[in-house]
Amino acid sequence: MSDHSESKKETGKHGKCYVYLDGKAIGYVRDGRAFAEEVRRNRRNGIVSGEINVTYVGKINEVHINADHGRARKPYIIVENGVSKLTPELKERLKNNEINFNYLIRRGVIEFLDAEEEENAFVAVREEDIKPETTHLDPDPASMFSLTVNNIVFPEYNTVGKHSLASGSVKQGQGLYAINFNNRYDSRAFLMYYPQKPVVNTTIYRTLNLERHASGQNFVVALSTYYGYSMDDATILNKAAVDRGLGRAAYFKSFVDEERRYPGGQQDTFKIPPATAEGYLGEHAYSKLSEDGIIEKEQSVGEGDVIIGKVSPPRFIEEQTGIGMTEERGRDNSTSLRASEEGVIDDVVITETTGATKLVKVRMRSQKIPEIGDKFESRHGQKGIVALLVPQEDMPFTKEGVIPDMLLNPTSIPSRMTFGHMLETMAGKVGALEGKIIDGTPFSGKKGKARIDDYGSILESFGFDKFGDEVLYDGRTGRQFPAKIFQGVVFYNRLLHMVSLKQQVRSRGPVQILTRQPTEGKPRRGGLRFGEMERDALVGHGASLLLKERMLEQSDKWEVWVCKKCGDIGYYDYVRNMPVCQVDGPGSLVSVEISYAFKLLLDEIKAMHILPKITVND
Amino acid sequence: MEKNEKSANKYGIAYGEAVGTVAAQSLGEPTTQMVLGSLHQAGIKTIVTTTGLPRMMEIADARKKPKSPMMIIHFDPKISKDYEKIRAIRYKLEEVRLSQLIEGYEEDFRTGSMVIKLDKAKLAVYEITPKRIMNALELKGTVETALVDNATIKVKAKRAKSESQAAASESKIKHYRITFISVLSTVVSGIPGIIKAVIDMYEDNAFYIKTAGSNMEEAMKIEGVDKWNIRSNDPFEVMKVYGIEAARNTIANEMYEAITTNGANVNFRHMSLLADTMTYAGHISSVGRHGVAGEKRSVFARAAFEETVKHFVNASVFGEHDLLTGVSENILIGKQIGVGTGRVRLSVKKDDLQKLKRAAEKAEKK
Repeated sequence: MSDHSESKKETGKHGKCYVYLDGKAIGYVRDGRAFAEEVRRNRRNGIVSGEINVTYVGKINEVHINADHGRARKPYIIVENGVSKLTPELKERLKNNEINFNYLIRRGVIEFLDAEEEENAFVAVREEDIKPETTHLDPDPASMFSLTVNNIVFPEYNTVGKHSLASGSVKQGQGLYAINFNNRYDSRAFLMYYPQKPVVNTTIYRTLNLERHASGQNFVVALSTYYGYSMDDATILNKAAVDRGLGRAAYFKSFVDEERRYPGGQQDTFKIPPATAEGYLGEHAYSKLSEDGIIEKEQSVGEGDVIIGKVSPPRFIEEQTGIGMTEERGRDNSTSLRASEEGVIDDVVITETTGATKLVKVRMRSQKIPEIGDKFESRHGQKGIVALLVPQEDMPFTKEGVIPDMLLNPTSIPSRMTFGHMLETMAGKVGALEGKIIDGTPFSGKKGKARIDDYGSILESFGFDKFGDEVLYDGRTGRQFPAKIFQGVVFYNRLLHMVSLKQQVRSRGPVQILTRQPTEGKPRRGGLRFGEMERDALVGHGASLLLKERMLEQSDKWEVWVCKKCGDIGYYDYVRNMPVCQVDGPGSLVSVEISYAFKLLLDEIKAMHILPKITVND
Repeated sequence: MEKNEKSANKYGIAYGEAVGTVAAQSLGEPTTQMVLGSLHQAGIKTIVTTTGLPRMMEIADARKKPKSPMMIIHFDPKISKDYEKIRAIRYKLEEVRLSQLIEGYEEDFRTGSMVIKLDKAKLAVYEITPKRIMNALELKGTVETALVDNATIKVKAKRAKSESQAAASESKIKHYRITFISVLSTVVSGIPGIIKAVIDMYEDNAFYIKTAGSNMEEAMKIEGVDKWNIRSNDPFEVMKVYGIEAARNTIANEMYEAITTNGANVNFRHMSLLADTMTYAGHISSVGRHGVAGEKRSVFARAAFEETVKHFVNASVFGEHDLLTGVSENILIGKQIGVGTGRVRLSVKKDDLQKLKRAAEKAEKK
């Protein structure tokens, strides 16, 4: 057995080599290396558990045995005397489904190594790389990547950094996220209308059956700038392709409510709230509800519409006005659509909770057609925002009449070094021409042969340029582009970041109850925060009136009456039609504009038993 | 209008310009950039000084003990070009410990004595006699010394005062050991606090000395040193020796240095203004709650910064008045701030204007 962290110190203190089980010293042996080897032999023969990993650490002359939980382990084929234990005979039986993976583990053909034991192993990546001192063989070179990276085609041609980006955002792709989506009530879900199998995919992708849950479509992509609209990762889509359903998706949003029970025998009821209810939103808001207070299927709804009408008992129990005359005055507790939410009611479910209360789930559906500002990404971390939807007749076209679905800026390729994207473009083109699925599994290329030559010769046999370039004509002028343009088929994901869910404006709108300043956040129709640093910028420019407008006029302007005599705040008496001071009476008050937050501050200081006084000049 | 023109000509900026805010922004922006690029210059200079963000914080927080104090000492023009004389002064400056001057030593724990063999060559360089070393050691009061020959000293440790008869021999050895170590680290020559001194030269061949560690008072006493041209990077020491104005300049210069060595370019006036606000009270106050910000006149401005409740309670106890002259208090209550376009006011009063109008109307009728 070879130890690659070899040191001169073969035996430790007093010739003892300590053995640690899960980090705890349990004893010592004379020869640690031989001991580790013996444990391994026993493990392969099934005498000790296969879950155990043993390492001889030559540097400090210790044996570490690990049997605890939480170790990441990876399977390897055992190699003995330069021969892989997975013989051609076993491979044949494996192919014929006579034996399986577990059989190989039981028979000591495959074993799992943890990170520490890998230090003792000498692993060959390919079978032909096996040397006399080799101890293990990788089942497949692609197994060095994780499952997510294995979904990327040709990852070995990309920089490593792009893999972490790509495998992160592949998960955000819209697709067929679950087959039973019709029976699910996810709070947020996206469903692509026409997901496609990628023309280029990998073994792992097929093994995981992801072809049946595809989360994107094969786009015809040309590397062209289109009058500069594709600057800085902006992409251009073909309007006609979008109209035909390219990247189209449904967006589901679910609302849940239940009839809660309260102590004292009171409970919520689903119904159209009566006009007497506290917080009644007006007849119009409830107009789409059916008699039971719940919205109907296929009803189109928009901002402010009530979806589930619910009346809750009042917050405070009312005093008895007369004997038996108390009328129950409910409180409106309905669910309504927030700002910029709209769609069609997809499904309504009325059921019961485990606590035997009535439960309602409403699912809203809306169509998300790709528009300017939506995000698309290939499987190589090449993401971009749609900048323009171009009518088909204005798009570039080839002599066969092929019009690309998407135009990508060529400058986004070289600096990112995503050559896998380029290769996929060619492989996709080959697959589309041949009507075949092209394999893009990592490291699956034939040795000594460049993939690009393979694809190039196939393209040539179909009468195309061997580098994937094509002559394109400008749809606007009809003239031929002076340069040939690289065009092919790439699998693109439509990511769940969409403008329609993010864009927001406010000129006037709701304010917070306590401070009367504008609210924050999209669902509350809030404004963007004018923070401390922004304030300092205006101060630095000396723009005092602009600053006053931002901080007062457009925020929480408030008029108060201040008494000149006592300096306290008075009030306006609308009966006598004059301002009045609580101490000095009417006649000595002036109107002052302050921010409501300052008035609140004065009130709070008063609550601390400190009396602030305002001195008014002129 | 006249006032405006005057100030514009004198200072080159407009009347009502928010100089403080602009200075804060101009200093703040490059300082945030420095967080990234400050640790890239290890081992360039002979004397390593703190630079970048830590140094900026040190100055702005007005810390009493800077991390790497430093002095630059200039000399009388008569001797400033004489290398030998400067070198002699250098040896007088640098702090020398006994351990730097010896060839070897022997300890005897039974009798509690040690024999120290001095390095004659080094003694000559620093112009130190064995007698002087003995004096320095005797001053400590823990040892008795005796001269063996002209380069060997015998040191005997005195008994610890509180040592009882019952004390074990082990604690005795410990006592000896501590004494011997303190003997070896005794400062025998030089100015305390100055760890290292390096000679450097200006372009006009005048030498100057750069020191790690700062002690201006002692450095001034050395003959040949230009008393009025010693620089230190410790504002507090400068204030003690030269006064508050000099400390102000030190603060401004040191900040300028800290920012410009990192490649940023900030106009000196911004640091100048900051140094002014830090020192105009006659002492150095830090930027922050305990210094400049805590000394603000307005209750609202102080409360808006930190420790809100404390300031309101104290204001109520002492019956404070807020005249609403600053910036943050006016933003708080919603008034136009008195900076920039908010600075200009009508010099004619409203009532006076009406009087004038009435007078004019009368005149017209007549």
